[in-house]
Amino acid sequence: MVKQRMQRLALMATAAWGMALGAAQAGEVTFWTWRQEDKAVYTDLFADFTKANPGITVKFEAFPNENYNTIVSTALAGGKGADVLHVRAYGGLEALAKANYLVPLSTTNVPELKNLPADALGSESLRADGKVYAVSLAGQTLGILINKDLFAKAGVAVPTDWASFIAASKALKAKNITPIANGTATPWMDAVFHSVFANPFLGPQFVADVLAGKATFEDKRFVDATAKLLELRDFMPAGFTGVDYATSQQLFSTGRAAMFVGGSFEIGPFRRANPKLNMDFIAPPGPKGAGLVSRFFDSGFAINAKSEHQADATKLVRWLATPAFAAKAAEKLGNISSLSSVTNPDPLLGKVAKLNATAMPYIMLVHFRYEAPTGSDLLQDGVQKMMAGTMTAAEVGATVTQGIAKYYVPFQKK
Amino acid sequence: MARPKRRWQRGVWIALLLAPALLVMTAFVTLPLLAALRYAFYSFNGLAPAGFVGFANFATILFEAPYSGWTLRALGHNMIVFVALMLLQNGLAYLIAFALLKTLPGHRIHQVIVFLPVVLSAVIVGFLWKLMLHPMFGVVNAALALIGIDGPPWLGNEDTALGAIIFTNAWHWVGFPALIFLAGMQRIGAETMEAARLDGAGDWVLLRQIIWPLVAPATTIVFTLTFIGSFNWFELPYVMAGATGSPGGATDVLGLYAYRMAFGSATAGLQDFGRGSALAVLMFLFLAVVSGLALRILRRREIEL
Amino acid sequence: MRGEGVKNTAIQLLLAVNALVMLFPIALMVLSAFKSNAEIFDSPFTLPETLDFSNLLHVWSDTEFVQYLLNSLVITTSAVLLILLAGTLAAYALARYTFPLNASLYLFFLAGLMVPLKLAVIPLFVELDTIGLLDTRLGLVLIYVAMGLPSGVFIMTGFLRNLPGELEEAARIEGASEGRILAQIMVPLARPALVIVAIQNAVPIWNDFFFPLVFITTDARKTLPQGLTVFMGEYSTDWGVLFAGLMLAALPITLVYILLSKQFIAGMTQGAVK
Repeated sequence: MVKQRMQRLALMATAAWGMALGAAQAGEVTFWTWRQEDKAVYTDLFADFTKANPGITVKFEAFPNENYNTIVSTALAGGKGADVLHVRAYGGLEALAKANYLVPLSTTNVPELKNLPADALGSESLRADGKVYAVSLAGQTLGILINKDLFAKAGVAVPTDWASFIAASKALKAKNITPIANGTATPWMDAVFHSVFANPFLGPQFVADVLAGKATFEDKRFVDATAKLLELRDFMPAGFTGVDYATSQQLFSTGRAAMFVGGSFEIGPFRRANPKLNMDFIAPPGPKGAGLVSRFFDSGFAINAKSEHQADATKLVRWLATPAFAAKAAEKLGNISSLSSVTNPDPLLGKVAKLNATAMPYIMLVHFRYEAPTGSDLLQDGVQKMMAGTMTAAEVGATVTQGIAKYYVPFQKK
Repeated sequence: MARPKRRWQRGVWIALLLAPALLVMTAFVTLPLLAALRYAFYSFNGLAPAGFVGFANFATILFEAPYSGWTLRALGHNMIVFVALMLLQNGLAYLIAFALLKTLPGHRIHQVIVFLPVVLSAVIVGFLWKLMLHPMFGVVNAALALIGIDGPPWLGNEDTALGAIIFTNAWHWVGFPALIFLAGMQRIGAETMEAARLDGAGDWVLLRQIIWPLVAPATTIVFTLTFIGSFNWFELPYVMAGATGSPGGATDVLGLYAYRMAFGSATAGLQDFGRGSALAVLMFLFLAVVSGLALRILRRREIEL
Repeated sequence: MRGEGVKNTAIQLLLAVNALVMLFPIALMVLSAFKSNAEIFDSPFTLPETLDFSNLLHVWSDTEFVQYLLNSLVITTSAVLLILLAGTLAAYALARYTFPLNASLYLFFLAGLMVPLKLAVIPLFVELDTIGLLDTRLGLVLIYVAMGLPSGVFIMTGFLRNLPGELEEAARIEGASEGRILAQIMVPLARPALVIVAIQNAVPIWNDFFFPLVFITTDARKTLPQGLTVFMGEYSTDWGVLFAGLMLAALPITLVYILLSKQFIAGMTQGAVK
């Protein structure tokens, strides 16, 4: 009797506090992402999905970018989490896939995978078993965004090679326009900055040599290309070591700086922040003529292996690999879809897609983010210090090489 | 007959007093923590434990470059934080408490003001001071420019970034030790103070020879909380300098480093629960030993003074 | 007497400068919440040109503000009350009785101060799931109580230990029960410490968004900082909205503090030995 009463009491108490377990409705698939700023677009897209798949709705849940890893890894380790997850590519994907948290995808369960090119599939594959674990969303391109109006106002031509880039920056500065919006306070932006300006000087041969074990990052080519960045310090905002990502974005979107060094993923947010901004996306300057842009795939959609709605989740992921979704997502999010059949009607993104035809990989993300310390971690730390003047380019190359040598065998013998 | 029964009752009474706190602590701190610390002895394959590796993770953190260098650097920064907060934050708090003790006109409103920032979150405080210290829009450099000083980009400069965050921490928290000191000073009693004054003691003598010894219990609390807070420092540097302790690790502290190893930084790092947990174990042992010793000394001092 | 005057002026000056430094950034936040993005960057430190409420309205209408606020209130209040209750009881046992395990238990509580509980988030998640408290407010409250108890016990023990024993002895001789001594003699004397513990715990619990982010997924149970963190992520480039969100997140607890500051400060002083 007493026991029964206690149980009832406990039940009532928990009910009063609100229990959620098993509360997910039938026909509802949850989706987690760190893209809080894309909420409106996804809500719209998922309405399309429900139209195509009556009876299944998608619950969109966004988390702060900085905490997303923690939240997802905790929930997955606890056997919970959303049915469909927005996951990162390359090393970030591997961390989840290796632990068997994601459902492997193939043309059997997701026939739409055939819509994706091999490199896009590769970015969401586990190297160990060669299986695909997520449907790649978009490719990203790193280059330079310019404010055409400011260039016109200052009477400066859009630069192509390094010499004209420096000349243009000088001319802009003489007209009291900050040439480059970027600061170095936000570390990941330093890796982007490095990739954009150093890659044209490194060239594809250097990447091939590193991957073949014939060159390290102490190579003269890498050190010289890295040192090139120092020439740009004069054209960055005053006190650039304290200027963070958010400020750089503000400087460019409000027309206070003429150029923003970053990715094609910035185009959408800049348009939203300032619809009047007259932008162009250009390739970085090379030693002679325009250099190569850097390219990578940035995220994908995966199915939680512990999801209780496998069938519905699979339906959603299949739909996320269709040209119908990809075309609309590319347009609304301002991305270049991973599906090669999808072209973006936006002329600016069309231009980016053209630049992509001859691109170099974003080396540290694509090749050295699978083990700790990651190449990105090491490089961004080094570049930040070099720009502040507390490290030389040669030292940056040496630290990066030594760090990567912990797990990359070709670097170890030296 | 009465005595044993009373002793038995006393035991039950004490157990009842302690039970709720012990129960909650064990369930929600001790058990999960022990489970997490077990990770310190495992290697990880992505996010899943791969195998028992004994003390390998500890060895990596302590003796293998580049990890060992990062560990030492972070520990050094924690020590700087502790010393600086003791001097700047708590020293100022002590002075403010004494100023408030004088009950000059307006002391009540000052009491309210000095504690106001304490109720704000680290996110807000960090964000506000990032703006205040901004090299382009910041009021700090604008004010310095008025007196002809060209202020550095405080948070972007390796020499000033840690100091700037420490200052922000002091701004945020100074009210807390100030009120603990004030509560301690007010317990001294007007008679003792008057008597000392009649003996011709000035403010300085009063502060050093009468108040200082008598607020010893308050000092113990402030010292211990500052010590533990300094070595578990996380939120404010995380908001102001990011998970990597920007710029170039100049603000990296053990709390950031352990979190970064365990959960990865959003944009560049990988997760390794093994190493992260190993560092957490080391931090805990260090804190436990040092604060255990410090407390013994401080308690003895309380009694002696 | 003149020396005294100069000294008092100096002290007033110190307090005035301090007040300015304390209030300026807070005023800046409040002002910025009424500005447009461009205005924040063009003239960050002036009064807003017009009182623009659109940022605030934005936060108000696009989030479940009232629901978040209520959740935060319920969670913070319950957690703080439980910390005060359980903490005082435990601290009383440690401070006023000698028994064999006293020192070890004191160290056990103290050790709780030093542990980085964030790193134990995965086992905590699994534990909450097992006992059916995942995604509940009660689960959060229990975690906050466990996190707050160490400092609560530490501060209360330090305080209770230094209270004079005469009153207690007198009551005991008069035959008062142990419970009565605790409730009617010791607790009133310990009011300043209770106030300190309450505010020291209320602030971080109110402001925490880490544990809610990991443990709470149902919208109706989200806390204010959690809900607003996610909301502000959508507007990361609009600083006016950002400031409005920050201000609204801070406003409730700041108002409570200002309204209760008289009692708060009186509470701290009343425990003074007369």
